[in-house]
Amino acid sequence: MTTTTAGSAGAARGFAADTRWRTRDIIVTAIIGVAFGVAFVALNAAWSILSGAAPLGVFLIYGGWLVPAVLAPIIVRKPGAALYAELVAAGVSTLLGSPWGPDVLLSGFVQGAAAELVFAFTLYRAWSLPVIAIAAVASAAAAWIHDWAVWYPDYAVDVQVARGIAMAISAVVIAGFGSVALARSLRRAGVLEGFPG
Amino acid sequence: MLTPIDLSGAQERSLLGRTSPLVKLALAVAWLIGLVLTVEAGPPLLLAAVALAAGLTLGRIPWARLAGGLALLVAAAASIALSNFLFSASNTDPTATELARIGPLRVTREAAEVAAALGARVLAIISVGAVFAQTTDPTRLVDSLVLQARLPGRFAYGALAAYQALPRLGEDLATLRQARRIRGLGGGWHPRILVGLLVRAIRHADQLALAMDARAFGSGPRTTFRPIRWGWPDLAVGIGGLVLLWLAVFR
Repeated sequence: MTTTTAGSAGAARGFAADTRWRTRDIIVTAIIGVAFGVAFVALNAAWSILSGAAPLGVFLIYGGWLVPAVLAPIIVRKPGAALYAELVAAGVSTLLGSPWGPDVLLSGFVQGAAAELVFAFTLYRAWSLPVIAIAAVASAAAAWIHDWAVWYPDYAVDVQVARGIAMAISAVVIAGFGSVALARSLRRAGVLEGFPG
Repeated sequence: MLTPIDLSGAQERSLLGRTSPLVKLALAVAWLIGLVLTVEAGPPLLLAAVALAAGLTLGRIPWARLAGGLALLVAAAASIALSNFLFSASNTDPTATELARIGPLRVTREAAEVAAALGARVLAIISVGAVFAQTTDPTRLVDSLVLQARLPGRFAYGALAAYQALPRLGEDLATLRQARRIRGLGGGWHPRILVGLLVRAIRHADQLALAMDARAFGSGPRTTFRPIRWGWPDLAVGIGGLVLLWLAVFR
């Protein structure tokens, strides 16, 4: 399958990323989105239950929603993968019935776009742990602002800050390190043959 | 849960079913923005009622199905309202009217009013989402995104192809859990199941991509099997929705 990636970038190895999307890149990115759209059903349920018990601690699982925006780009390494995967996940989540309704699409857009910006800033060339962690935190920051406006406008500012810190920690641990661990497991399982990295 | 929503023929032929998904999507976003701009309980409750009534009549969604979809989600509305109530900035404002004092926590009437409005906002957003999902066929949604919103077809139809793997992912999930049970690991939910699920999903994606490439997917101009044209339902629903939003929120 690697033979289909001719592209102009192959020659200038390590200098410019191959930005052409193969069909395989598209479908794998989309299916990561779909799989997480399904996982979000469980996450939404967990959120609804936990937010009653620990209204602030529950933000420690927020990173779960940001995984597609980090995992898909580190697997396929194409421009737009973060936004595409997160939007597909959001769309599936909306269609399967989410407590946040169509707002999930807006959330997915800002979360995916923020992570995308960080990867774009490296010109899709740097995939080190710090870059991935920064992308995860950027995604969480966008979500934090969005949620402030839509869901928690009445929170006191110190609670907003505490919520943001919890989200940032969760993003680094779950979306950042979690995605790296997942990608490593998948690579070891042998399903990522023909993907860079 | 893991099966895509199957719309009945009546739902598809209804006014909302025939409306372009793009119009419904745009309207949902417009309502969402309108809802965010108001912190009263009245407008969102009105919009929620309108959305549900429209879903039942104009969308012909079976009553039981709509109620079933909503029941689980209402808990979320309650949790949003409760957390805003407890963490409200007005709880520490000395000029606010105190309602009760629970240990170190002081709750105020101002906080309760805002919390009620936010609960109503969540209800409205949930209702809009449920009506959208119950009147929109995913295939039509993607057709509309490509033909009307001019989104790149490879990505839109790629997403649809992946979405149609949903029932298969459900089967894989069941198989993986059974496999764990056979090995004596218990049939519960374990994070490792996610790895197995993703392995299966990516294998499936590979086969799908190969099959699609073999049929020259995205390699040239597409012809359209199910053309989508703008029609009077789009105009009626679009204008009707915006007028209702204006009446509920901005007037």
